[in-house]
Amino acid sequence: MPEKPPPAALCLRNVCKTFTQPAVAGLSLEVAAGEFYALLGPNGAGKTTTLRMVAGLLPPDSGEINVFGIDVLRRPIDAKRIVAWLPDEPMLYDKLDPLEYLEFVAGLWGVESRHAQNLAHELLETLGLWPHRRQRCESFSRGTKQKVALAGALVHEPRLLMLDEPLTGLDAATARQVKDLLVERVRQGATIILTTHILEVAERLADRIGIIQHGRLIAQGTLDELRVAGNAEQASLEDLFLALTSKRERAA
Amino acid sequence: MSLRQGSFLWLAKHDLSLSWRGFEGLFGGASRRNIILIVGAAIVGVHMLAWPVAQWFADIENGIGGEAALTAFFASGLAFVLPWIVAQSMTATTRALFTPGDLEMILTSPVSPRAALAAKVLAIAFDSTASVAVLVLPLANANVLAGRTHWLALYPALLSCGLFGAGGGLALAMALFAIAGPRRARMVSQVAATIVGGGFVLSIQVLSALPESMRAWLVDLIQGSGGQAISLTRSVLLLPVRAALGLFDAMIQWGLTGLIAFALAALVFGETFAHAAVVSAGSVGASRHDRPRQAFHSGLGPAVRAKELRLIWRDPWLLSQIMLQVIYTLPVSVILLRNGGVTSSVGIAFVPTIVVVGAQLAGALAWIALSGEDAPEFLATAPVTRAQIDARKIEAIGLPIALLLSAPLLALAFVSPWSGFCALLFTGAAVISSALINLWRQSPSHRAKVLRRHSQSKLVGLIEHLASILWAVGAGIACLGSWTALIPVTLAGAVLWFARPRQPRQRRLNSPASA
Repeated sequence: MPEKPPPAALCLRNVCKTFTQPAVAGLSLEVAAGEFYALLGPNGAGKTTTLRMVAGLLPPDSGEINVFGIDVLRRPIDAKRIVAWLPDEPMLYDKLDPLEYLEFVAGLWGVESRHAQNLAHELLETLGLWPHRRQRCESFSRGTKQKVALAGALVHEPRLLMLDEPLTGLDAATARQVKDLLVERVRQGATIILTTHILEVAERLADRIGIIQHGRLIAQGTLDELRVAGNAEQASLEDLFLALTSKRERAA
Repeated sequence: MSLRQGSFLWLAKHDLSLSWRGFEGLFGGASRRNIILIVGAAIVGVHMLAWPVAQWFADIENGIGGEAALTAFFASGLAFVLPWIVAQSMTATTRALFTPGDLEMILTSPVSPRAALAAKVLAIAFDSTASVAVLVLPLANANVLAGRTHWLALYPALLSCGLFGAGGGLALAMALFAIAGPRRARMVSQVAATIVGGGFVLSIQVLSALPESMRAWLVDLIQGSGGQAISLTRSVLLLPVRAALGLFDAMIQWGLTGLIAFALAALVFGETFAHAAVVSAGSVGASRHDRPRQAFHSGLGPAVRAKELRLIWRDPWLLSQIMLQVIYTLPVSVILLRNGGVTSSVGIAFVPTIVVVGAQLAGALAWIALSGEDAPEFLATAPVTRAQIDARKIEAIGLPIALLLSAPLLALAFVSPWSGFCALLFTGAAVISSALINLWRQSPSHRAKVLRRHSQSKLVGLIEHLASILWAVGAGIACLGSWTALIPVTLAGAVLWFARPRQPRQRRLNSPASA
């Protein structure tokens, strides 16, 4: 009997979401387990709305969302157990210190306390937050807050990690730390979906890239596949992105 | 006339306009015309209420020993008003130092720090005086309308109280900052402000517990009788009282005292305040002693409880404001005690107050935990239901409420077991009611707005107050052993029934995303 293929880390089928106007319009895409996927698009393309629906923050108007074969709409708690969502604005508690924050996150995700504590210490060390572990988050710079939030997203060892503009406002050294950590997580088997406007990051880190515009997927593949599709063998991702999105804009 | 940019008056205008905006904010986005109409109607209403009180004062004034009685009344009023203004000033100074606002921006500009501070303190004086003026001045106006023009003296007397109290509050806050250091100053100052602000109310509680003979002696001492009266009414401590009574010399002296206190505070503490603002900005969230850390809490309940208690405990401003609210509820027990007497009906005297205090505490803390959540979206991504988190939050607020109420409940049970039992039963019901109302009718907002939470939904405020009053009335009747206590209990149940959620709770997160 042939072995059943492992479920995709994320599978969207005809997902729609309309506020005053359509934000996501029949979006379908698949991200394989263990993949580093970059979701790109101009401002207002529907990237954040898409990720918020996967995280269970917004219900779609129609369509299906599955995370590792779990229907997000029918079994939200099971899905949330293996997903982490890191928005561009860190969601922290100003009056808690990083250790207390990580303790709280571990409690929410039901991580065994001793294991959680070890993981928290390890993450704080890796991200250079150990000297700040007893300082309240209210005094942190944006970059430090972003690192604390990232530690929070990782402390429950999610199988799917979604990051919305994680490198915005970080200095070069901090950005490098974060990128290294993400690559290491993918190497260990996690799946990462990242949105960014810094196209070099997507070019350098992502296994595959998806470009959405007006709530629809307009192109997807590895960088080489996108180059072939765009008839531009030597083009940078920036050139390809601009060509694809402006073509669509004109067509619209 | 345009004011010179960066001058004291220019800065004062800026700060006062911010105060006005804050006042407008209380009306939840109503137009300026509507605000003026509401305020106008409120002013007329308060004056109508003040009219019979003014007549009552006229009778006292015209009676035998009228002046002494009025002096005693004004002395009591002063004992309430001045600490209140000082406490408000301490709180506002501490907040200005520790809350990121426009202060840093102003201090980096080339304006004089003394002028900046003086403008801030003037706005503080204005805010705290205005909160007292709305209660006091209608009484003065009603008396003036009735021909007793010397009541006009309350205006300058109150203004001087504002300036003196604001200057005093600033001096106290800065002294505590110097003594306790920037890291502890916030907590120490807030606690001190609570004690100062509630001092008069607390002392009334002590007074009410004294034997009748001692109380009579104290009243005699304040009112003055025979030879004592002359020395006491001439006391410096009663200068503002004499000014309020309209004695010209005293008015001049008290007016100058207020102005000098204000000017001195602004001049002396201008530089210190600027320095303190810079230091406190650096101290926010500063590293604490690296004491050995206990292991992580395990599981949802302990994690949520630990988080909620830490957040409540680490917000001294929030704590002090809630405690002030509680302290100012206590005079109810004095009034009830006067009417009932300690031995005959201790239950009627204290139980309703404890019930109301419990309900208020539960309402405020439940709102902070449920509606004042800092990271609602983060919680929504966790693999737990909203109901599970809400339940753990309600558990978390139960602990501080139980701690605060256990002492009066135990004391009551010791004096009168039946009253203690009634208090426990009805306080429990009132606490659960308030928590449920805040659970069912959540209105997400910033936790610092806890005291203005009812401006978001007047209906919720009304329901919460009505339920707590009904439980309090029920408690009082139950203490007398009457079955008619079931009437307010049934009504409280009906209020809760009305407040219940009628449809699945709306997802507060269903809002457009940023991209």
